[in-house]
Amino acid sequence: MTAQLQFDQIQTGEVITGRPFTVTRESIQAFADASLDYNPLHFDDKYMENTFGKTSFDGVIMHGMQNFALISRTLTDWLLPKGGFHRRLETRWLKPVQLGHTITTKATLTQKKQTDKGFWVQFDIEVTNHLGGLVAAGNAMAEFLDVIPGKPE
Amino acid sequence: MTILDLDNFETDFWKDVDKRKTWDQIIPGELRDTRPVTLTKEVIARYAEGVGEDNPIYFDEAYARTTPYGGIIAPPSIHILLMFACTTTEDWMRSPGTINAGQNWSYHNPIRPGDTITMRGTALDRFIKKDRLFAVHENTFTNQHGQIVCTGRGQTIRPN
Repeated sequence: MTAQLQFDQIQTGEVITGRPFTVTRESIQAFADASLDYNPLHFDDKYMENTFGKTSFDGVIMHGMQNFALISRTLTDWLLPKGGFHRRLETRWLKPVQLGHTITTKATLTQKKQTDKGFWVQFDIEVTNHLGGLVAAGNAMAEFLDVIPGKPE
Repeated sequence: MTILDLDNFETDFWKDVDKRKTWDQIIPGELRDTRPVTLTKEVIARYAEGVGEDNPIYFDEAYARTTPYGGIIAPPSIHILLMFACTTTEDWMRSPGTINAGQNWSYHNPIRPGDTITMRGTALDRFIKKDRLFAVHENTFTNQHGQIVCTGRGQTIRPN
């Protein structure tokens, strides 16, 4: 199917819900081992009794980039089967995510935009915790294109 | 070419802490010290598993060949790993208490097994807001063909 046809099948207003994710010490260790980010913010209970400038936390926190990876997965889970190419993700971390919290990504397809060379879709991103609190917000873009850059001959 | 060795990575972020730039020492525009790393199929598969990326396009070559990508690719978010893999123990992004405030990343060429990735990283800016010390970093990752893989910018709150 051409990129044009794939793009034409996309409907704005669609809401994509990611797989819920619960933070545990094991999940933090797994993410650290994958990302190589071993900051004591994520491991050291004693260290987390400190205040960090104007910020203090109630115990260890999840990596912010864990959230980034989960949003990214939510987008690619939806895009890959449709032929879409994940192009951009912008996020702001609004609240720390702590042990025992369950977070869920919601991506809303807000706009479609055809440019001179591309077929683009835009998403609004929200990540909420199990209490309904907004922990991250952002936006994303994907492109439908006939040939993926760098595809082997 | 240095194949990324995940099993001998320095996980103690307190090591070399005194050699890292503090907020006061960060000069906007200054390059961070980086080194290229080669990502094998195994490194990509371990990253994918660790972050819960279970699409077979990240680890099953036979399946990946049937997709428009034509072979295994790395999950787009693998720059999270590259940020640490391509920098040294003296890099200020390892400073304990570095708090991530937000990020934006653009993706161009997917990373594939065997790619050697080079990072160019700068401190783009620093500022004080609501009594907190912020640094803005900007990174460009390229592959062995000189093609842009991804670019990104992030903000961190620096430990005092």
